[in-house]
Amino acid sequence: MEHIDLNHIFPKRVSNFAKDELFDIAVVGAGVVGCAIFKEFCEQGAKTVLIEKANDILEGASKGNSAILHTGFDAPPGTLEHECIQRGYEEYMKIKDEYNLPFLNTKALVVAWNDEQLAKLDAILQKGLGNSVKELEILSHEQILKREPNLSSDAKGAILVHGESLIDPWNTPLAYLKKGISCGGKTAFSHKVTGGHHDGKCWELQTSQEPIKAKVVINAAGLYSDIVDAIKGTKDFKIIPRKGQFVIFDETAYNLINSIILPVPTKRTKGVVITKTAFGNILVGPTAEDQESRTNSDTVKETLEDLKQKAFHMLPALKNHKVTATFAGLRPASDETYYRVGINDEKNWITVGGIRSTGLTSSLGLAKHIFELNDKKYEKNPKTDTKVTITNISEFAPREYQKEDYGKIVCHCECVTEKEIRDACHGESGAGNISGLKRRTRAMMGRCQGFNCEAAVTQICKNEVQNG
Amino acid sequence: MVDINIAIIGAGPAGLSAALELKKLGFDDLVVFEREDEAGGTPRHCGHLGFGMFEFKQLLSGPNYAKKLAEKAAQKGINVQLKSTLIKVEDGILTFSTPEGIKQYKPTCTLFALGARETPRSDRLVSGGRSPNIITTGTLQRFAYLQKIKPFEKAVIVGSEIVSFSAIMSAKHLGIKVEAMIEEKEQIESFCILKYITKLFLNIPVYTGVKLENINTQDKAVQSVTISKDGKKEDIACDGVIFTGKFTPESSMLQKSFVDFNTQNSSLNITQNFQSSSDGVFVAGNVTRGALAAFRCYFEGKKVASKIKDYLNFKHTPKIIKIEADENVSWYYPTMLDIKSPLEGHLTTLRLKNRAKGIIKIYLNDRLVGTKKVWAFPFISISIPWKDIELKEKDNIRLEFLANS
Repeated sequence: MEHIDLNHIFPKRVSNFAKDELFDIAVVGAGVVGCAIFKEFCEQGAKTVLIEKANDILEGASKGNSAILHTGFDAPPGTLEHECIQRGYEEYMKIKDEYNLPFLNTKALVVAWNDEQLAKLDAILQKGLGNSVKELEILSHEQILKREPNLSSDAKGAILVHGESLIDPWNTPLAYLKKGISCGGKTAFSHKVTGGHHDGKCWELQTSQEPIKAKVVINAAGLYSDIVDAIKGTKDFKIIPRKGQFVIFDETAYNLINSIILPVPTKRTKGVVITKTAFGNILVGPTAEDQESRTNSDTVKETLEDLKQKAFHMLPALKNHKVTATFAGLRPASDETYYRVGINDEKNWITVGGIRSTGLTSSLGLAKHIFELNDKKYEKNPKTDTKVTITNISEFAPREYQKEDYGKIVCHCECVTEKEIRDACHGESGAGNISGLKRRTRAMMGRCQGFNCEAAVTQICKNEVQNG
Repeated sequence: MVDINIAIIGAGPAGLSAALELKKLGFDDLVVFEREDEAGGTPRHCGHLGFGMFEFKQLLSGPNYAKKLAEKAAQKGINVQLKSTLIKVEDGILTFSTPEGIKQYKPTCTLFALGARETPRSDRLVSGGRSPNIITTGTLQRFAYLQKIKPFEKAVIVGSEIVSFSAIMSAKHLGIKVEAMIEEKEQIESFCILKYITKLFLNIPVYTGVKLENINTQDKAVQSVTISKDGKKEDIACDGVIFTGKFTPESSMLQKSFVDFNTQNSSLNITQNFQSSSDGVFVAGNVTRGALAAFRCYFEGKKVASKIKDYLNFKHTPKIIKIEADENVSWYYPTMLDIKSPLEGHLTTLRLKNRAKGIIKIYLNDRLVGTKKVWAFPFISISIPWKDIELKEKDNIRLEFLANS
């Protein structure tokens, strides 16, 4: 019987540009921030390359998050993070329709579960207003239960944040990648940056494949941004990976809540959230565990059990529903709480590090900010004629399987069609591995976790790759 | 939208045998819906022997058994709609996604025979990393018998139910070496003889009373699993992990669509006639509880067919009282009684979560009305008898298990 390594069904990617090509911009790291920066520079007409050590986008910090589009009501006031969250939100609203990206305005409740937390609500409200988030309301115990009848009656009071919304954490950055490519951007996957040299004019980056030359390097290497940053010659910060574990419940639980249920935040983290997802599940998490390892995203049974219990306390009816998935993400926190963004003008090196947990929202704002930092470096030549549309796989958009002639459904839990799986295997922005395929299509992400379809999906991918 | 008399969802042993029986009873306006490319259900990918002895007096492999069932249905002219995924149940209307587009049916009577699935790693909250090589027996069987792909070389099997031994056979079929079978409980979850066969003849170590501490991965490749016994840890090198058993009904659609859902069984509450409390809605086969052998589903399908006939002929609405069972019970069915309909001396069938000796006490409105001495195994069903006491509306029956001290 033929042995197939499920981790290497998709071939290792090679770059598709000339060996001595000199780029205006090299973006290191294809997480959500790197993809957004790539898009911005490509759109503005810069000759840009996106360099990524993995064989697909979102293989690091960006693969595991709570998928919320934040208003920035509780962001540290006056910081770059605050500015970029709000700018990122605005930008997302401008592009979502063109890209066919989901946006589900569920609103959020910051719920106080005891008197101590209740006393903090006013300060949160004032902070939010100060952060120019105007649509905030204080809700009483009765008002909470009217809005969220399944929530535990321990809820003492809450702030309703109107703007907080759900988006697709995976196809959003994918759309940025596609847009960049359609504007002429190049990609170099499976290229791990290992070193570099600046000759006074431009950079030559050493990679695990061929070297890449660029006038400006933008380091968006997430969990590795401190290591990559050392290439420029100085070490300015240290990444302290912060693990967040999550539990996803079956879509049977979907109607138990209407809003995102946020806790009263502490200094360190936003705390454990209960929210719907754009894919029709309920998500609980994350934890916040500082660790040394940049790769260990193992889940821990006891921690997951604890998350479940916390969620059951807040939302007792959740007990009657099954767990669909568990996972952990690593946030690239640094030794300070703020974003580590800076420019080294002499060496034409821009650092975008320490984007700890708000990257999904802030990425488009960050990209604009970085572009402006670098504005004078070359001539603008905006490309306005390209249009990118992605397959909206959220539960609230018309899905492929609801159309005629889709072929057949392969993943029955998530209703993913064979055509969707086949399409996701192809092109420069196609899946680079099985995880990437899952993120693009939702295949195998449902309650049976591949019990029914993993073998069939593997076969389809194998055939698609072989037949080109 | 199409009006039909009977809709059967699921073309596995329960669904197809119900369809065959109903056809025999003269019901022609009948459609079976199946989401897969072929009819036959789970046996389609159980490549080993052991099927058909009671139904067809023939020893068949799973795929041949499935084929035989599907062929019988075709011979009898049963309308089986393949590649039809049920996406919504609302106001008595069934909505399917099919390659020809969305189709809607309004049946007088619906039988849900949706089957079961194994509990994957996620719902067991196992510690460790992620890998596509962490799978279930069902996935392994599909790799082996449908796609002919060998996903890894050395496996650890988690669990020791009957299906876990089927996983060994599928692994053998693929040329995968099984490094160990591990079981959290002190004894295996099936007949002891299987443990000795596995150890002595297949030379596979069987560890019982061990905890699965961690699945160790690197770059999404499984490296080993860490197990522990009495605080002592040990690593078993492997590149694949197979989670077996802990079957759970494929019942999310039922939970979303109907109110009377029983979370202990993870299925709809049903009477002794497989009737739910929603008018015209029947449930049978493995979706009523965890997985039982195919022949049980087959005979259940025949039985539910006669109940559907009664329903369609007499349109009787059941008078329902609930049965409750304590937390020692892993599943039980029926979970309700239709007191207008005979009980035939049988109250319910159940399984206990753990091996134990003790008694099951039967309470009627908090009054002890019967006991049954049991020597329970989690993999053996226990039938609970009922001596004919007249039942009235609003009566309540409760089952409690008391282990011998």
